[in-house]
Amino acid sequence: MLDRIHPREIDWVLIGLLLVNSAIGLVLVQSASHFLHGGFAVRQAVWILASLILLFLLLTVDYKILMGFVPYIYVFLFLVLLVILVLGKAERGAKSWVGLAFMGGQPSELAKVVVILMLARVFAEFKSRYVTAAATVLSGAVTAGPLLLIALQPDLGTALSIAPLWLGSLVLAGLNRRTLVIILIAVVVLSFFSWQFLLKDYQKTRLKTIINPLQDPRGSGYHVLQSKIAIGSGGVVGKGFMKGSQSQLRFLPARHTDFIFSVLGEEFGFLGVCVVLGAYFLLLARIFRAVGQTRDRAGLYIVFLCGCMVTVPFMVNVLMIIGLFPVTGVPIPLLSYGGSSLLSTYLAVGLVLNVKLRRFAYV
Amino acid sequence: MCADRIYEDLSPLRKRSRIVWLAIEIAFAGLVFFYWKIQVLDYRKYWAQAEANRTREIALPAPRGVLTDRTGKILLADNRASFKASFIRENTKDFEGSIREAGRLLDLDPAIIRERIEKYRSLPAFRSIVVKDELSLKEVTLIEARRGERPELIVETEPKRLYPFGAFAAHALGYLQELTPDELRTIYKGRRAGDMVGKSGVEATYENDLVGREGQLVEVVDSIGRKRSERENVEPKPSPGLRLTLDFDLQAKAQDLLKGKEGAVVVLSPQTGEILALASSPTFDPNKFINRFTPEEWVGLIASPDKPLLNRAVQGLYSPGSTFKIVMATGGLESGAITAATSFFCGGKIEIYGHEFSCMGSHGALTLPDAIRFSCNIFFYNVGRRMGIETIADYARRMGLGRKTGIDIPGEATGLVPTPEWKKKTQKAVWFPGETISVAIGQGPLQVTPLQIAAVTAVVANRGRAIIPHFLAGETAPAGTDADPGLSAANVEQVVEGMWRSVNAGGSGQGAQVQGFEVCGKTGSTQTMSREQADRISAQSKQRKTHSWFTGFAPRNDPQIVVSVLIEFGGLGGATAAPVAKELFGIYKDKYARSHPSAGN
Repeated sequence: MLDRIHPREIDWVLIGLLLVNSAIGLVLVQSASHFLHGGFAVRQAVWILASLILLFLLLTVDYKILMGFVPYIYVFLFLVLLVILVLGKAERGAKSWVGLAFMGGQPSELAKVVVILMLARVFAEFKSRYVTAAATVLSGAVTAGPLLLIALQPDLGTALSIAPLWLGSLVLAGLNRRTLVIILIAVVVLSFFSWQFLLKDYQKTRLKTIINPLQDPRGSGYHVLQSKIAIGSGGVVGKGFMKGSQSQLRFLPARHTDFIFSVLGEEFGFLGVCVVLGAYFLLLARIFRAVGQTRDRAGLYIVFLCGCMVTVPFMVNVLMIIGLFPVTGVPIPLLSYGGSSLLSTYLAVGLVLNVKLRRFAYV
Repeated sequence: MCADRIYEDLSPLRKRSRIVWLAIEIAFAGLVFFYWKIQVLDYRKYWAQAEANRTREIALPAPRGVLTDRTGKILLADNRASFKASFIRENTKDFEGSIREAGRLLDLDPAIIRERIEKYRSLPAFRSIVVKDELSLKEVTLIEARRGERPELIVETEPKRLYPFGAFAAHALGYLQELTPDELRTIYKGRRAGDMVGKSGVEATYENDLVGREGQLVEVVDSIGRKRSERENVEPKPSPGLRLTLDFDLQAKAQDLLKGKEGAVVVLSPQTGEILALASSPTFDPNKFINRFTPEEWVGLIASPDKPLLNRAVQGLYSPGSTFKIVMATGGLESGAITAATSFFCGGKIEIYGHEFSCMGSHGALTLPDAIRFSCNIFFYNVGRRMGIETIADYARRMGLGRKTGIDIPGEATGLVPTPEWKKKTQKAVWFPGETISVAIGQGPLQVTPLQIAAVTAVVANRGRAIIPHFLAGETAPAGTDADPGLSAANVEQVVEGMWRSVNAGGSGQGAQVQGFEVCGKTGSTQTMSREQADRISAQSKQRKTHSWFTGFAPRNDPQIVVSVLIEFGGLGGATAAPVAKELFGIYKDKYARSHPSAGN
């Protein structure tokens, strides 16, 4: 099972970009939370180290061997989410945080990595030119299981960031016009159904708020409004590290998690935003470039979906904080504070490295 | 085959991945554009909003300027400190919950608080709206203790108006009331909801001189409204206050004399127009208006049948009665209808235009001064017949009737000087010559205010020069008038002679005689009474009496003071109004005569 690793085959540039973005996140978390108790930046640093160790551990296991274990991991994850859901009823509020004794974080985040592996396994032997109905349903079911359990917690943000993985796999597998139409219809019907029966009032309000964030500046539009004020008032060069009035005087909500990028915009201005967008772009580019350096179908799916896993929440978040996307609790991988999000991102990048590392391996 | 299985053709997948990556690249370009728009193009807008977020402007009200008597030493309107609770809508997410909590802390019905806030709905949400006044120390503590959790509820300190002498000169000083939302949008744009502004009297006229300049404190606050630091502090600049022309002793005496009666007194200086006393009875305590939210008392004042808020001296309209004979006498001489030598015979009654008119007595043949002295109706019937209504109206207006005197308090009544034209316009009827005869003795549709009568008296006292009555002392005070009555001093002297005789030679005004102070005056009694007044009198089972007038000045050759008195339902002017005037002349003489050697004679 264990493999010989050639250190020079490891994509050190990708690891470097990963650490650069993590470091940027660390700086922003410090600025956003230094006035709070809890030592968030220190905890974030510890999580980075731990995640980096787990990343290297993951490299030692050939992803093809991992593929064999995936169904068991997947079932295990499913059971964990189920237990959380049932036990969580007793706790207050969001149920996705299990006690440290259990898993030390948010299993919902790790579910993304497991779903990626499971989708890769589903499509590993799928060789049709376009995706079939059977494959769509099967991959859909694989995704829907954890997604629904997480959505019921309720953690709509994380749940919705799982769905794009399924869509990504379908795009990769090839969508012909007919499937596309069917999926579009399904999405419309599902949205309607959700709006009528599933979505809670506060979630509906958030959606409505995109259209007019000023309709209730103290209510649901408040967060986005304050975020836009923070970003806009940063101007070209920003107000300086730890000098943003919006973040330091706490007008900005969830500064160190969902609105970390607003802190960046306020304190480092448009230039800072461009630098960080650039760093993130390079990271994503490095991941997507690895798609072309895969050996087999499973590996290609893994790399592509890991790329999607980092890209989608990032896009959603940076659009959300300027009012171009509904407010969903989606943190930015690497930049936002949050251990399990960090860990799952490192594991995803680990998978990419793993696949890339073994692109020349013989069977 | 084996190699084929291992290196399968993944190129379609790689192509699709490249398309997705292309989409991501485009998205990144879009992001750069969106952030450029917000951070570079719209920077100023958001910067201003961030500034507004983190700063809080606190108005530091300037104490309202004080009002003093003519010596500048006695404060007639002062200020004291008071606390009020205000609500800032912007600082709450749960409006209903906040209102309930405010109601609990302030011991108020939440519905009342909501109503108060709704009233100023159109104001920006960051403006504070006063919800309770005159907080007790306990209420102040309750609110201050919750400053962190309830940023929407704040305590503001406010200087409050205090009238130390209560009802003293209430009609002259006026009272303050809360701004209406309408006024806030129109005339008082810079003011704030809940501000008190002068609504009547001097307080209203000189509002802008009295408010002073509000100071401002700019604080840096965090999202829950906690103060982090101060940025700017502009100290409030209080108004220096105003000195009024009122004489404390005369005003106090005038109010005292009117106590229990309905009527008005005007005391002014004929030389300058300075008003030394202006009293209207019944009166009210302007301190009652200072507290917001006591509508019962306010409604009570308005609804009271004896109308305490009505300033009878400048708003009350009365028939002038025989005091109008001053105008008739002056006008008769000036127009040439009569001369100093003209004499008419009074036999107690006379028939004119087929109607019989009577006199109070049978005075025999008399000339002008004695006609004034005895207030002989028949003499003035004849003067009226000779002058005609147009000429009468002309002189009445010249001397100050039928138009505003220009006094510096709002709400002055114009009064009415009837003419055939007026009658045609308002009643669509022809003027009857007989009506001219009524007007000649001050009856008929004539309407005057006590202040107008005082102004007419001042014209006579000045031997023809008119003044503008006013309360503001000092050089800025208006003096003289734009409308010169154009009278000859010699003619007016004849009228003065008559008024002197009336008081000092056993005439109708002898009740106003003061030893050593040559008072000249004229009495009046008026029979006219409006229907509702008559009903009220019957209802109060008071005796149906006439209104009682006295107007005069002193001393004769160096006039320093004009006193006009009206007592509603006081009976004959000589019996009721003249003694009131006598008291006031007496006070003035005792207080000032020594400083004017020419007085007292």
